[in-house]
Amino acid sequence: MQREVGSLPLAPALRAKLVAAGFQTAQELLETGPCGLSKELGISKEEALEALQVVRQECPGDVARTAGGSGITRKCTALELLEEEQAQGSIITFCSALDSILGGGVQLTKITEICGAPGVGKTQLCMQLAVDVQIPECFGGVAGEAVFIDTEGSFMVDRVVDIATACVQHCQLIAEAHQEEDHLKALETFSLESILSHIYYFRCRDYIELLAQVYLLPDFLSEHSKVRLVVVDGIAFPFRHDFEDLSLRTRLLNGLAQQLIIIAHDHKSAVVLTNQMTTRIGQNQSTLVPALVSWLPRCAASSCHSKCRRY
Amino acid sequence: MGIRSLAVSRSRLQDLGLFGPKGRLNPHCLLSSWPCGAVSWGGGGGAEDMVVLRAGLCPGLTEEMIQLLRANGIRTVVDFVSSDLEEVAQKCSLSYKALVAVRRVLLAQFSAFPTNGADLYEELKSSTAILPTGSPSLDQLLDSGLYTGEVTELMGAPGSGKTQVCLGIAASVSLGLKQHVLFLDSTGGFTASRLYQILRARAEDGEEQLEALQRIQVVRVFNIYEMLSALQELRDRLSQQVVSSMGPLKIVVIDSVSAVIYPLLGGKHSEGLAIMMQLARELKTLAKEFSLAVVVTNQVTRESSTGPLKPALGRSWSFVPSTRVLLESKEATWEKATTQRVASLAKSSRQPTGIQVELDIGNGDVQELSPATLTQGL
Repeated sequence: MQREVGSLPLAPALRAKLVAAGFQTAQELLETGPCGLSKELGISKEEALEALQVVRQECPGDVARTAGGSGITRKCTALELLEEEQAQGSIITFCSALDSILGGGVQLTKITEICGAPGVGKTQLCMQLAVDVQIPECFGGVAGEAVFIDTEGSFMVDRVVDIATACVQHCQLIAEAHQEEDHLKALETFSLESILSHIYYFRCRDYIELLAQVYLLPDFLSEHSKVRLVVVDGIAFPFRHDFEDLSLRTRLLNGLAQQLIIIAHDHKSAVVLTNQMTTRIGQNQSTLVPALVSWLPRCAASSCHSKCRRY
Repeated sequence: MGIRSLAVSRSRLQDLGLFGPKGRLNPHCLLSSWPCGAVSWGGGGGAEDMVVLRAGLCPGLTEEMIQLLRANGIRTVVDFVSSDLEEVAQKCSLSYKALVAVRRVLLAQFSAFPTNGADLYEELKSSTAILPTGSPSLDQLLDSGLYTGEVTELMGAPGSGKTQVCLGIAASVSLGLKQHVLFLDSTGGFTASRLYQILRARAEDGEEQLEALQRIQVVRVFNIYEMLSALQELRDRLSQQVVSSMGPLKIVVIDSVSAVIYPLLGGKHSEGLAIMMQLARELKTLAKEFSLAVVVTNQVTRESSTGPLKPALGRSWSFVPSTRVLLESKEATWEKATTQRVASLAKSSRQPTGIQVELDIGNGDVQELSPATLTQGL
């Protein structure tokens, strides 16, 4: 309970007032109470009450703590994590070579980045994944829904229709070969209409819309809890042009990355990003590298930079 | 570690009224009275000096006294202790003797205690442990391992192997020393299956591997407040010595610190800097008070596109870790995957900087393909 006032998520102006008044720990704040607090700092009672609520949330009483239930931090032992990971499925891409280098498919709760030169097939792969995530569990899929955030405008619905039809046909062939109960039942709900209706499409025209969409996504995902894939097609595109303040760009990208990591982890979904390539001009030659290199650290766990070739 | 030897006699301290409640000098509080580097941190809970004066804070401090003092602008302990008591006695019409008595008690309660250098050395010898990182070449770089009571930083570009080295360290401490490990993950990069792979490569017995996995606790913190909250919880738990599923804890690994602080730095507000120093203080106090080894990872940035690599988070953070190791990958290109890394010592209080060793982050094993090269720094 000796949590320092400076480490609580309060508004900066309020924090400055608290420090000036001599408060050091959360315990002191809670002891003073809202009336005393509003008198000392010269703020309204409502503000004082709000601040105390934040403090109480951050520092649950000793009873709650010793009872072992602290919902704020997500903690477990490595053994439990291992069991979770092994039980988790992954989203197959229908390309066995790609699946094998990804370790079974696109991993859930991780961010995967796909980068390549223009025209190489990044958006196609994303559309394929948006269909594949919906494959029922009895066929080896994760039976989830997909969110597709498009910044470049390259999403083609007719192409998705082709992919979905092919996928349904593929599953029908499997069902005919195996002739099992649950396969046939699953096929009843796995049709072209259901696939298309479970892809939630958002079009973002500039970086502000993209940021807003990503920050609002957790609310959307808590309503649609079956979403297992979030695709952001063209993460670099809105940030590459028209940005004078480079340090602001880095900060925004880092904040965006953390938000995506939180989404991937809390909602157990895979986040797939596509990135453009840029040329780094070296001393003797120039190499193609993913754009916005400072972005790279954010794709922590499985960042797969696949240099795709055209089929 | 500059050991200043102060021979201060007990009677002198008694005159000053600077004796602890148990009648013992508290060595940890030495650190609060000597500024070390650019960050001077308090030696634990006893050094709060901006406490507001309240009735009952110490015997002899009554409510009326407080009202009179407040009317004359004395609100906190610091104001009281640093003011001229004769003047205060006159202005507030309080008894001088009573004020002196109150000041003595307040000083005893709130000040830090100096200690003898030799005592400090003995204490450190008995409480410091050196933890092996699981890779002999890295141990050699770090002067035989990770020292408890200190913050060690691993920095490197993305993909240079920082998380892998952290996993290796966690595996080594949990398996080899059978101590508990706390892993704070802020990037989502902790993969339990990779940790299991490393453990399998080091231990044959399945039972041992499972036990080792159980000793590593992973907490996912994705913003700075969650991280501070987790560290505070750890501090409470350790100070109350609650014997729960958390056994003897010796090391805290934080991967990575820059991920949660980067979004706050820069711009016009200095909020980010303030909270970064909060975190720095929290880490240092944890390390020193509870004799833990703290390992953090950091990114690197460049001045310009061709400049040399330097650690992220700026100058203020550079005073926090006592040892800094830079990880780089050796000639990695898109075509050739490699698990070879080069670790160089960028900051150390014990070894000359500039030493480089080669590291294989492959299966957490210790094959060095070439002898370690020792290049002396300037």
